[in-house]
Parts: sequence; structure tokens; C-alpha cells
Amino acid sequence: MSTSTMARVGEGAVFDDVEVGQEIPTLVKGPMTTAHIMRWSAAMENWHRIHYDWKYATEHDGLPDVMVNGSWKQHVMIQLLTDWAGDTGWPWKVGFQFRGMNVPGDTLTAWGRVTAKEERGPYGVVDLEIGLRSQKGEESTPGTARVVLPRRGGPPVPYPFDPAVLGTA
Amino acid sequence: MSAATGTPPDYITPAVRAIIGAEAPPLEAHHPVEASEARRFHQALMDDAPRYWDPAAASRYGGPVAPIGFPVHAMRRAEDEADPLDAMQQGEYDGVDRRLRPGLPEVQVPLKRLMNGGYEYELFRYARPGERIRVRSRYADIYQRNGRTGPIVFVVIEDDYETEHGERLLRSTNTIILR
Repeated sequence: MSTSTMARVGEGAVFDDVEVGQEIPTLVKGPMTTAHIMRWSAAMENWHRIHYDWKYATEHDGLPDVMVNGSWKQHVMIQLLTDWAGDTGWPWKVGFQFRGMNVPGDTLTAWGRVTAKEERGPYGVVDLEIGLRSQKGEESTPGTARVVLPRRGGPPVPYPFDPAVLGTA
Repeated sequence: MSAATGTPPDYITPAVRAIIGAEAPPLEAHHPVEASEARRFHQALMDDAPRYWDPAAASRYGGPVAPIGFPVHAMRRAEDEADPLDAMQQGEYDGVDRRLRPGLPEVQVPLKRLMNGGYEYELFRYARPGERIRVRSRYADIYQRNGRTGPIVFVVIEDDYETEHGERLLRSTNTIILR
């Protein structure tokens, strides 16, 4: 049983290969357990009881179980994009809302779908709709993203990233 | 509960309006980014990309980096700062610091429920172990919408993260919902 899909590293997606409507490779995490939640909370030094105190979460706050951290989910959404862009592209913008809860037992799939693409100088800008879906099909973290990719045979996106390299739209 | 009839109360009082645009003094992390905290971060995230640990794979960045969103968790407790777990003696304490951001004035609104409405990130650069992170926070906007359940106040906070040398790392735009 794998807890995480293998990260794509090195060369990332190329603008010329991207099509509107295309799904980018998904990123699967889980099944999540209380140990995964505890590990993240400890690494963040986040003491919010709903992440580790079952009695408090269920009896005081009336939740169904301890909660998977929203802060963890947001970095999963960012990893979806760094995996896709690799070290040659850049995840310029990412935004999402916390709409749903996730609990131990959930397996979460981060996904992205291309909604627009535009050439900008020697690079390309790709807009995506993104989300985090549980094994029950429930979406908890809907959002959007904008990723900058190299053109085929072109230079990698300069690092550190400066939006000025894209010129004016 | 406010009246179910008539106009809902306007919580965006002159005092609240006056803090829109308010900026906190720059806050610097108590210690430089540690390789160990960056490792625990990417391992707990279950992101094992070599740029976080393999100098050869990270040569483009000048060496291994912390995951791109790391700076938002870089403001740790100083060695001599009060222990937040002391408050656990109060049975009801949920473990969460109610200060939205240290250094920003309190939003004086009589609404009890606080929800995280989400984030917009603009990303520029990875932080590296050894670099010191600082953040500048400001209230970008505070506004009210009147829902069926009553007034809802949205607090939009911009956090600009940079290195001690002023190199931009990321901008976070966080919407806090009070209702």
C-alpha cells in the first residue's frame, strides 16, 4: 500500500503538449490515519485539538472524528502543481477554499484540469481548475491555479520567478 | 442575535474602516530555516521530490530547498516565549491562537464564529535552510455581506514573505470569515 504517488521531478510539463480540457497527472495521498495527522501537526507545531484529541473533536466540537489539517491539504494542492511543473516550470499562482472536512480513512486525490493556455514571450501560461477529491467522490478544496511552462526546446522558466519575464499580457 | 427584521447592523464601523490598509511591523522568524524542519515538513506532506534533499537535483536553486509553501509555517515560538500548552489547563481551550496576526490591530466585530475562507498564493522562490524568513502582514480589505443567517464579515489579509535580504518568497492572501 502506497501512501503517496511517486513525485515527478526534474523536467516538467512542456507548454506545447498542453491542451485545454486536459487532466494533469493526479496526486494520491492516503489512506490517511491519525498517525499522518499527528505527524503533520507536530511538524507544524499546531496544537489545535480537533487534529489529535478525539474526545474533544467529537464531544466538544461535535465533529465526526479528528480532522485532516487544512494546512496539510493546501500544501498537497501546491505539490500537485510542483510535480507537474517540475524544475523547469513554475507554479505562479494557486488559490483554494476550504469547503469540506476530511477524516482518517480518507484517501485523497488532488486533480487539475486545464481551462486556458496562452503564449507569453518564450514561455506559456496555463490556467487550471484544481480540487481534492475523497474516495467517496466529495470535493473539499476547490480552487484555481496558474502555471508557467517552458516551450518545446525553449529555456526553462527563470528562477527565482519574476512575472516580468512574461511581458505584458 | 440581532433583529430578524429591518436592516442588518453595519459592522464596518468607522473604527473598523480605519484599520483597512493597516500594516504590521515586519516579523522575523526566531531562527533560520532548519534542514530538519524542512525535512519533517516534506516527509509529513509525503512529498519526496529530490529538490528537498539532493544537492545535485537542487543545483538550480543553489542547493536543497524547503517546500514552496514552507514560509507560511516558519514563525515558530521563541525559546523564552510562553508555552501555549499552558492554556490546556482551561478545559474548553481548543489550542488555537485567536490573534489573526501578531502586530495587526484586532478587528472589533461582535461575531463569534471564525472560519478560514481560503488562500490565494503567488509564488516566487523557494526558501533554503540557513535563510531567515520574515513576513509583512496587512489588512487588504474588510467588508460585510448580509446572508440569510445574518451579517458575515470578510477579513482579507495579505502576508508578504521574504528573506532577510528582501528577496520575495511568496504572497499569501487569506480570507477570514467572521459570522
